Amino acid sequence: MKIIVTIKQVPNVTKVKWDADGSLIRAGLPTIINPVDKHALEAALQLKEKHGGEIIVISMGPGQVKSALREALCMGADEVIQLTDRKFAGADTWATSYALGCAIQKIGDYDLIISGVEAMDGNTAQVGPQLAEYLKLPLLSYALGIESDGKTIQIQQKLGDVERKIEADLPALITVEKEINDYRVTPMDKILEAFEKEIPVWEAADVDADLVHLGLKGSPTKLRKVFSPKIEKGKVQMLEGTPEEIARQVADKLNEKFLI
Amino acid sequence: MDFTLSPINKMVIKAGKDFCERRVPEIDAYMAEHGDYPPDLLERFAKASMLGFDVPKEYGGLETTNLNLILLIEEFGKTGSTCFLPLLMNNSVAETICHWGSEELKKRVVPPLCDGSAWATMAFTEPDTGSDPKMLTTTAKPDGDDFIINGCKRFISMANKPGYGVFICKDLSLAGQPHDSTAFIIDKNSPGISCSGHYELTGLDGADTCDIYFNDVRVPKENILGKPGEGFNVLLRWISGERIQQAAGMVGVGQRAFEESKKYSLQRIVNGMPMGYMQGFYWMLGEMKVKVDACRLMVYNAVTRQDAGKNFDTVSAEVKIFTTPLIQEVTRMGVQFHGSYGYSKEYLIEKLFRIAMHQGVVASSLEINKTIVGMTALMTK
Repeated sequence: MKIIVTIKQVPNVTKVKWDADGSLIRAGLPTIINPVDKHALEAALQLKEKHGGEIIVISMGPGQVKSALREALCMGADEVIQLTDRKFAGADTWATSYALGCAIQKIGDYDLIISGVEAMDGNTAQVGPQLAEYLKLPLLSYALGIESDGKTIQIQQKLGDVERKIEADLPALITVEKEINDYRVTPMDKILEAFEKEIPVWEAADVDADLVHLGLKGSPTKLRKVFSPKIEKGKVQMLEGTPEEIARQVADKLNEKFLI
Repeated sequence: MDFTLSPINKMVIKAGKDFCERRVPEIDAYMAEHGDYPPDLLERFAKASMLGFDVPKEYGGLETTNLNLILLIEEFGKTGSTCFLPLLMNNSVAETICHWGSEELKKRVVPPLCDGSAWATMAFTEPDTGSDPKMLTTTAKPDGDDFIINGCKRFISMANKPGYGVFICKDLSLAGQPHDSTAFIIDKNSPGISCSGHYELTGLDGADTCDIYFNDVRVPKENILGKPGEGFNVLLRWISGERIQQAAGMVGVGQRAFEESKKYSLQRIVNGMPMGYMQGFYWMLGEMKVKVDACRLMVYNAVTRQDAGKNFDTVSAEVKIFTTPLIQEVTRMGVQFHGSYGYSKEYLIEKLFRIAMHQGVVASSLEINKTIVGMTALMTK
């Protein structure tokens, strides 16, 4: 089974600091593999252990994304591919999906793509589904478990409080939830092997991407502003009247604030 | 000397931290409840490929540096858990067998130590000796193609766990010769072996240490490690590495004692400000940090010599002499830092203090190491 896993390098938001204007201080911010993407890789490793095959991990980002890919090799990926080009910069989820899709088309001949449900910095959960759409693959999202006979794939899908089983023919794309597995501790032998491997860098021209759809210019959504919501100090207003009158006043207040 | 860590070293540390954060709490909880290691502990280490660092790949090892091993051990030391002692033992005994053993022994015994299916043991100490080979009373008597072992070994880690041990015995075939101790590899499941219950130790909570008794235990001659009469040399070389690894764990203990004290000093408010900002306390923090950093450099220096293939017997004894009192002092300061809480089992610092106490008396005493370094200095021209 040839499995492609997409990962994203994100700021470690547990260590994020904000400046006086509420903007993210990026300088010196440590980066990590998006946590749920590690679960995606673990899911791939478990499928490989069962069915054999190979795992290719791909990530788009600036040069420093190499460290995330190196870590993926350490976890047990067979190969990794780094997608780095200034032309990719500023991509929204669609432009990202397009670039990843082009690279995956170049890899070709795959059985399965596995992604984390969403990245912890953007929380859009859009790249996986858009990638499936671009590649015209069946999408099996929010997976809590994966089974495969080598020709079809079944997942236990989490839909809020409801779960269901869905199935598709391979090739397909799965997005996984963090509850799907307990990803492995990076084994020492893989660490030693990982540092002997090369990490190829693919640019836009390498994946035959149409420049019109790449980066900021190719992004249909535009980011207007990033800000921290202002926290207003709470004001207390005591309401008087009968319980019914007070309930009506509460309802009116909530209505004024568009909260109900 | 440049101790800049390589990307591989840093990844080893990262993986070690991850294991300590996500796996050790469950292991430690088992040990607290049962007073023993989880039966599958070695499998857990093997799954993370943590056994056989300095062992050739052909025998199931990683064939990497001892530096990587001690970086990992420091992370374990920071947890305050004792669970890494079997990891140390399997690593060091496998390396020892690779150094001294015949090809047949290496192929037979080392792979199970690296894949976690066998628990390693190293045994010299007896009721009446901890460092003098002339005082050994556990005997090995030749009998055809075998030796017959009789006697007792004391304070032996993992003695009652299935696997292989290196046991240093008085070799009766060498009676009257100046060097009469021989190292034997013995399957701990052999008929005639029995063990006492665990010793209750001051620290090292959950560690499995007991006496092991040999009653006419038959061991084939092929299981001799090194040559007959080299038993004490096998022990000395092994313990030189063990002292460095032990010190690495204690550097982790000291580092954690420092970090716990720093954390406490920022949480505890005295006269309207965190107590860490009072001069008496930040002076203590400064002193603790310097001591731990200096100990770490001593460990790095020793392991660098070991990895370079240079003699490291004396330098590892120096590590013990230097680090033992300093780390013990750092953990004592940590207890003092926490006030009454530091004397309570509610706080980790109490456990760290008790662990640090073992370094002066386990895996050779502090004093015997002073003898090694002092006598070496005297005899070096």
